[in-house]
Amino acid sequence: MTRSMGAGLVMGAPSILSAASKGPSDALKIGIIGFGKQGRVLFEAMSNIKGLHFQAVCDIWEYNRKGGMGKVRALQGHVPNGYVDAEEMLSKEKDLDAVIVATPDFWHAPHTNMCLEAGLHVYCEKMMSNTLDGARSMVRAMEKTGKLCQIGHQRRSNPRYRYTLNELIKKQNVTGQIVNVNGQWNRAVSSSQDIAYKESLAIDPTILKKYGFKDMHQFMNWRTYRDLSGGPISDLGAHQIDIFNWFLGTVPTRLYASGGNDYFKDREHFDNVMVIFDYDTDQGGVRAFYQVLTTTSAGGGYYESFMGADGTIHISERAAYTNFYRESGSSRSWDPLVEKGYLMKAYAAAPAGDGGADAIASYESAAPEAYALPGNFNKPPHQPHLENFFASVRGEEKLRCDARHAFESEAPIYWVNPSALEKKPITLTEEHLSV
Amino acid sequence: MENNTSNSSDLGYTFSILLLRIWLGIRSLQTGIEKFAGVKMSETAVTIDGAPNTYGLTESTGEKAYAFSNYQGVPQALHDKFVGEPLIPGFFLTIYDFVLGPALLILGLTLLLGVATRVSLFAMGLLYTSLTFGLILLKQDAGIAWLGTHIILIVMALVLAKHNRFTIMNKW
Repeated sequence: MTRSMGAGLVMGAPSILSAASKGPSDALKIGIIGFGKQGRVLFEAMSNIKGLHFQAVCDIWEYNRKGGMGKVRALQGHVPNGYVDAEEMLSKEKDLDAVIVATPDFWHAPHTNMCLEAGLHVYCEKMMSNTLDGARSMVRAMEKTGKLCQIGHQRRSNPRYRYTLNELIKKQNVTGQIVNVNGQWNRAVSSSQDIAYKESLAIDPTILKKYGFKDMHQFMNWRTYRDLSGGPISDLGAHQIDIFNWFLGTVPTRLYASGGNDYFKDREHFDNVMVIFDYDTDQGGVRAFYQVLTTTSAGGGYYESFMGADGTIHISERAAYTNFYRESGSSRSWDPLVEKGYLMKAYAAAPAGDGGADAIASYESAAPEAYALPGNFNKPPHQPHLENFFASVRGEEKLRCDARHAFESEAPIYWVNPSALEKKPITLTEEHLSV
Repeated sequence: MENNTSNSSDLGYTFSILLLRIWLGIRSLQTGIEKFAGVKMSETAVTIDGAPNTYGLTESTGEKAYAFSNYQGVPQALHDKFVGEPLIPGFFLTIYDFVLGPALLILGLTLLLGVATRVSLFAMGLLYTSLTFGLILLKQDAGIAWLGTHIILIVMALVLAKHNRFTIMNKW
């Protein structure tokens, strides 16, 4: 895997970007596979998008299925068809245009591939699969069928992220040479507990077994099982490591991870993972650090920070965590950018150096000046990415994160847990990263 | 001389009940109308380098607007607290939430127009007492005292009701 290959893969135009099967006046007929927590999040975002007709809901759990059907009915005034089995749904629903896949990770590849093979466009939640081979099969299925397959890295359609990358980094070069990237998702222990369920609502054990779950606990908490998911580094980290790769325009050449069951000792996946990535970019080497914790939300929640010689971009899906800092020693003033509306002056930075008795002047750097984005966007975070998917189905836009590009960005993440398990760095080669 | 004093005293009572009707009527009517108030947000594209940006970065501006779809009888924050109160059954809360706004509107109008003033005042007193009951459960003493002042005004209006004029229907 060469640097230029990586850059081309992450930055280049997707091979299959748009379809033109529908004109703007036709409602797209949608099926939803998986109406659990994430399925509901996507549905709420889709409910704001015009021109969609939700025709079928599929979920093995009656509670989710009927709940989803009820939500569809409340939105569009009719009850959609409900299915336990995705294959049955595809065999009976012959006029669907697209399917939303929001099932557990280990079902992403089978569900996505069977939908693509059935001639449908697919929006599939990230992580693409629980295995690298599963993800590879999705890329092959997309390219073989010629259907659209958008992966749910929704930050790629977030206006704040797109604006920051295209206008502030690429055009205005506000950071100068980026040498360090830092990201984290610190999730509170209260938000990381096992998900409970009512015994009276439990799924029949034979159905659970048929669909790959040994019991109801595993069904509810599949994210904590190694055979069913990639764990926190995949669940949470994939979103942000994807941003590392997207913004840097390449993929890492090497990684070294550490992880452990430091709090949730009975879980199969590490609850506390840290990883260092080495990048070789057009501007030079970059070191990136990422951590995912499931025991505290202290330390600033979740963000990605791109640190350059002239400025730092501290960006998050949460607007409240997003800020920009100009290095005080930078030769370039950001005042012209403020005058033209590219940035806004933010709150005054804290004084440094001579601020107090605990400060030693010779150790301190002058505080950077703080800036903010000139606007925001007030939609559910997943909505722009779904809008892009449906617009691409109509032939009006191009996918922002098709399966191939998602794979190229996700592939390094599959090697984080092995590195942590073996306590060894991994040099990423074409064998690790290619389809 | 006595007649003059009596007349001017009656006029004072008449104005007193009229002022109380106006105050209590507006208080009730506008409170009912506000149950239908909401904020209509509008988004405008942020201008960057002289042109609206194409990324979808927007500035939000909110404008107060009234609509039936905004209706919320019991404010959401209070509603959420009442849901956990064992002395307030769920079905009762649903009915109360539905009735409260229209009741305030109707009582406000009847008081302002002078339709069955005594009955309206009595019904308003009962309505404020029911609100007081809810606030007692939530231990909101300031709100209870605030509603108490309303009850005092209603009682004063009832005492002065025999001097009530400028009405559409003075019976009851």
